[in-house]
Amino acid sequence: MATNIKKLIALGVLSAALTTYTITPAAGVVMASEQTTEAAAEGTETAETAEGETAEQPEAGAGAEANGETVNEDGEVIMEGATGKVAESEWITIDDYEMVAESDTYKMYYYEPRLSVILENKSTGKFLETTLSDELDDGASNTTWNAYMKSGIVLSAIIGTTNTYQVDMISTSNKIETTKIDNGVSAKIYWNEYKFGLTVNITLEGDNLVVNVPDDSIVEEKEGTYISTVSLFPFMGYTYMDDQNGYMLVPDGNGALIYLDNKEGRYSTGFSQMIYGTDAGFTDSSVSNYLWSKYDTVVDTNDIIAPVFGMAHTDDQLGYLAIVEEGEKRASVEAHPNGVMVNYNRCFAKFMVRDIYVQPLNQSNSGTMTSVEADRTHTDLQVRYMLLENEAADYSGMAVAYRNYLLDNNLVQIKDTGYNTRVDFLGSDREEFLMGTKSVPMTTTDNIEEIYSDLQSAGVSSLLSVYKGWQKGGIYNVPITSYKADSSIGGTGSLTSLIKNSADNGYNIYLYNDALRVNARTNTTTFNVVKKINKRTLKEEVNEQVYDLFYYLLPGKMQSTLQKFVKSYTNKGVNNLALAGVTDNIFSFSSQGSYYTRYDTANAVLDTVAGMDENVDLVLEQPFAYLWDYTDAFLDMPLGSSDYMYVDEEVPFLSMVLKGIIPMYSDYVNFEANKTEFFLQMVESGVYPSFYVTYENSSALIYTNSSDLYSTEYSTYRDSIISYDTELRAVANAVEGAHISDHEKMDNGVTKVTYDNGTVIYVNYTNESVSVDGLTVDAMSYQIK
Amino acid sequence: MKKRTLFSKRNIVSALLAIGTFLVTVTSSVTSVKAETPYKTYTVDGYGSVQETQTAYLAYETITKFGDNFLSAPSDLCVTEDGEIYVADTGNARIVVGDINSNEIKTIGEGTLVTPKGVFVTDDKHVYVADRDAMAVFEFDADGTLLNTYTKPDSPLYGDELSFLPIKIVVNDAGIMFVICESNTNGIVEISPQEGGTFLGYFGTNFASTSLQTIIYRAILTDEQRAKMVSNIPSTPDNHAIDDKGLIYTVTRGDKESTIKRLNIAGNDLIDGTERYPEIPAAIAAGNHDNLYVADQQGFIYEYNNDGELLYVFGGLDDGTQRVGLSTLVSAIDVDTEDRIYLLDADKNQIQVYEPTEFTELLHNALYLYSKGRYTESKEPLTKVLEMNSMFDYANQAMGRAYFQEENYAMALKYAKLAKDYEGYSDAFWEVRNTWLKKNIVTAIFLIVFLWAAWKIIKYYDKKKNILAGPKNWWNKKKENTVISNLLYTKYFAKHPFDGSYGIAREGRASWIAPTIILVIFTAEFVINKYLCGFLQKTIREGRFEIFSDIGQIIIVVFALTACHYLVCTINDGESTVKKIYTYFIYSLRPYIIITPIIFILSHVLTENEQFLITLAQFVMIGWIIVLAIIAIKEVNDYTPGETFKVICLTVFTILIMALLIFIVYVLWAQVFQFISAIVGEVVYRLGY
Repeated sequence: MATNIKKLIALGVLSAALTTYTITPAAGVVMASEQTTEAAAEGTETAETAEGETAEQPEAGAGAEANGETVNEDGEVIMEGATGKVAESEWITIDDYEMVAESDTYKMYYYEPRLSVILENKSTGKFLETTLSDELDDGASNTTWNAYMKSGIVLSAIIGTTNTYQVDMISTSNKIETTKIDNGVSAKIYWNEYKFGLTVNITLEGDNLVVNVPDDSIVEEKEGTYISTVSLFPFMGYTYMDDQNGYMLVPDGNGALIYLDNKEGRYSTGFSQMIYGTDAGFTDSSVSNYLWSKYDTVVDTNDIIAPVFGMAHTDDQLGYLAIVEEGEKRASVEAHPNGVMVNYNRCFAKFMVRDIYVQPLNQSNSGTMTSVEADRTHTDLQVRYMLLENEAADYSGMAVAYRNYLLDNNLVQIKDTGYNTRVDFLGSDREEFLMGTKSVPMTTTDNIEEIYSDLQSAGVSSLLSVYKGWQKGGIYNVPITSYKADSSIGGTGSLTSLIKNSADNGYNIYLYNDALRVNARTNTTTFNVVKKINKRTLKEEVNEQVYDLFYYLLPGKMQSTLQKFVKSYTNKGVNNLALAGVTDNIFSFSSQGSYYTRYDTANAVLDTVAGMDENVDLVLEQPFAYLWDYTDAFLDMPLGSSDYMYVDEEVPFLSMVLKGIIPMYSDYVNFEANKTEFFLQMVESGVYPSFYVTYENSSALIYTNSSDLYSTEYSTYRDSIISYDTELRAVANAVEGAHISDHEKMDNGVTKVTYDNGTVIYVNYTNESVSVDGLTVDAMSYQIK
Repeated sequence: MKKRTLFSKRNIVSALLAIGTFLVTVTSSVTSVKAETPYKTYTVDGYGSVQETQTAYLAYETITKFGDNFLSAPSDLCVTEDGEIYVADTGNARIVVGDINSNEIKTIGEGTLVTPKGVFVTDDKHVYVADRDAMAVFEFDADGTLLNTYTKPDSPLYGDELSFLPIKIVVNDAGIMFVICESNTNGIVEISPQEGGTFLGYFGTNFASTSLQTIIYRAILTDEQRAKMVSNIPSTPDNHAIDDKGLIYTVTRGDKESTIKRLNIAGNDLIDGTERYPEIPAAIAAGNHDNLYVADQQGFIYEYNNDGELLYVFGGLDDGTQRVGLSTLVSAIDVDTEDRIYLLDADKNQIQVYEPTEFTELLHNALYLYSKGRYTESKEPLTKVLEMNSMFDYANQAMGRAYFQEENYAMALKYAKLAKDYEGYSDAFWEVRNTWLKKNIVTAIFLIVFLWAAWKIIKYYDKKKNILAGPKNWWNKKKENTVISNLLYTKYFAKHPFDGSYGIAREGRASWIAPTIILVIFTAEFVINKYLCGFLQKTIREGRFEIFSDIGQIIIVVFALTACHYLVCTINDGESTVKKIYTYFIYSLRPYIIITPIIFILSHVLTENEQFLITLAQFVMIGWIIVLAIIAIKEVNDYTPGETFKVICLTVFTILIMALLIFIVYVLWAQVFQFISAIVGEVVYRLGY
């Protein structure tokens, strides 16, 4: 085939455009949602058009067709208006760079006009570039993209209510002043046309390249013209097409790799996700395609749990792990393989400084206008690139580097990582009855006692249980204000004695508390609930029978409610708490005329958790990285990824980082479709199993909000719990306290996990038994050496 | 070094469940390790409401090319029994043949084909291609040699002015081709291979549905106006498939419940309507277990059983996040012998393969055994299915039927109720009741005799020694109370409506308290009967309670009836007051008070065959109430029959007008409210709060 039309054709473009843009005749502008990935790169042309004029900017993906981009037979993308290659005589080379810093292992060279840095490994002589070099410029991109690729920093600007103007070092006129500082340079940049500027400090700290933009260096001097996003080194460690073997690490789920191979122009977008999830305070219900106009069949993508990404050139044995150290709570990780606009593989962090949002003017949302955030987010922006070389330049090396970083900086302390099987219980939920609701008890305290003694006699020596729906009014009677158990499960007294008695046997019960959500039906007042940035109440609508609407509790109120609850609870001598809701959700909000950022929300959670840490044994549900130090266990560790098409391999990156530091528990085994494979994944990643169990048959839940729990009966899972416990406890004991030092997927289909105590675990996911290192690993099985 | 296997012999029994999982995963290859899916799977329960369920199919493999052959706007695919995939690669004007590992096997028809839109492969590997712009069906042999070309049939029955634009094709064992042609609304073109193509006629013609509205329009519009109406021609099937028995399956967009058809050779639809149908059906495929698959253009995949009942729906539209298993423009679907689903995406130019999970395999197995009448055997996989999802209603239903066959009626009853399987419930209930009767009939007769004797004895002693004098006196005293006397009067009213009405009109029987008590009893009975009646009579979903709105509705009806009727009566020389009207309407409900408890009891003891008793009782009751009300209207107001009829009609009309008025006021008020809130919203925004 001579040419292949780019995969993304009309419909894709249309749907992308539909979800991203809302055209409002009233305001006469086009609004782009937060996800205007790289729209900036397209935007310089419009920068020249008159301000306020309607200008529709295609998104990166949507731009492909609009640009008349074509893919040639080598899989290269050729843009319309491509600049062509740079003549060799005009190349900017390493000779034009100035050496500005040197450490034991690296030399740092700096080229001011492009804010470009090249790192030279002193022992291998290999280079790591932060911007596209003229030599490797394939000339297939237009001037805008060309400028994007060769700039060390790219901003997007908001003018009026449009946020699609690209500001870079080359195509936008600027003034740059560089001063030498310890181990690096400090570059003060000012863009005349936009009248804003900032300072970028680039330092080499041993093996680490640190790029920092101090908050107080940001100046915005023109009313109505603001910095929207800042991308630092968007071409850090880039590669061209399949020139290099290697991969990019993206923090999707547990961890995922995008290979640096030829993608043949198949993908219109790459990975682009907010760190710590999207901002519920900004998102508006978008146009979605529902089954029968009602049911959302698409599962949400995973949130980014840790603010990291990485790149490894496996042939050159060169790579880096990037940690977004400052500004991470409002930044996104971008990782685009070749074919996404340009022919280079690249990953970087993009910071959101100020955003636009849609302000509805009436209840029916028929009239809207676009507004700009009144203030920008005040925080430093900082990315630390931990440079990796030799054997360490792979994802195992990245995991080790990140683990050491966390431990060295006291971001997490080593916890008791002893093995437990996690068996969670559902106490009660509610169903409609007469004019109100009535309790549907599923697992009473007596039932738990019975289950515990059964498991104990079967040889399960320790257990971690999260008790959900224990509180008065059932699982969805939230927020929980005091320690009162539902009478249908046995009441507070028997719950207290259950928790105390079972703890003696090594069975620890944690009471589940979703501190974020407010049930709209059981709490009629909306005084303490979160309003979005556009001052509309943040609503979480669920398609369920009994309770269909939830609000978010204001972080301040969340804190006081939780403190009150914990007090009423530790009074009774009980101090196990499983905290959820606030642990994996941060958002911007408005309250009484003031605006609060994701930092305010995160700090409130951090405060609460830190305050409780002394007298409460706390486990957190899928905690984001900034909460790791406060949890005794990591609940609901994802084992897979979000199934992006451009992801080539899933790796247990987070598990490798946290194994031997925090005990990790999986998602519920009950609802997994392929249980054996899931079991093997737990063996591979050192994650402990979780079950969600009820004493009664789950069909009793059919008229409750928990009707999606379609299989939870204890008698069904009893044998699985016991056999999982036996198997995985043995695996865990073999590696007790050890860290994963290497993880490798071998050519024969066996995954080899090496621990720093010398233990090696082989996991065979294939259907044939495989001999490896003198061992035979059966099909769909594992071996410990 | 200690050798370990996943499950040692010691705990092999306890690991049974997990081992079950092995059986399935063994079939999957290493390249496809994807435990999670980006889409949810739903099923429909016995009430027709939608429930999430276990993942039924996992995204398995994405085929973007065979060898070096990329696809371009492909429109059809066909998977053979030995796993060869034939794709109508429309944009490249060829048929590409490959396998699931993206290996190229061959290409067919390059140079011959123009726009191949449909492809079908027979058991002997003959390839039939429907080529729209070549206006022909081509038949190739297994080597790709062109054997036959079938062009427009010259039979006059085909229609001279109709062009031949084949887009989809299936072929049965006899070599007869069923061709769907673009812009041919007569149906599927049936061509025999004899004599270079003999037109046999049209098959599976859809019928244009005519709504009442259309009929009225047609009657009143002029010819010109009628010409402008959207022409009411039947829709052509969008796609079709054939199973090993030669049954043809079709999907037709916009045909609502009859979107999916299973046609026998005579062209009769064997599916009795599907409640949950795809909105934009793109393609259909017959499965290996008497099941069928339908793909929606937007990426939803439906699996039905052979009665057209939905088993699963999953998948979805990719909104640009590019996740495996979501689609953008589905053009074809097929299934291989291992139940893997192949979904062709004309926009992404790829084939997405899905593989069934353990759950689905068990269900398929159970459905198969059940359909073959091997009930006891089918219980084992069904139990496993229910262990994994106890709310899966088709499994509950099949389980109930299986228990019934085993004569375990108590369990059959339980599962039938869970599955909302009325027929099965009724059958099981008959048996249970029968057993009960057999066991208890003697006791029951004994009890009746005993009670009868006791009553006789009491009566006898009462006559002799007057032992009941105390209660009798007390009761007679109570009767003198106006309210109680009025309440008892309702019995007289029900039996003697003419005299009874006279009592209301002239003898001061009209009151507020007594009818209100009756109304309360009525409401209580209504609510109890609605929510606690026998399973077979129940009109509302188990566990649903709408008592507040029930009571509200009763009050509104009584109020509207009384008020409107009063208004009408006053201007029609009626003699009644509001009190009288209220009294006689409520008193007319007396039959309900008596009969409903009987119906309530019957509903708990009757099977479906005996339901006519309840229907009859309801019929009598309603008739009685209406007669009472009409007589009361006539007598109390002293109307002639003609006047009574007029007043009743006027009352109904007044109620309608009142409802309309309230609706208009509501709409206007909503507008005002929205206007005010818009202004407030704007002000609040401008003020910055």
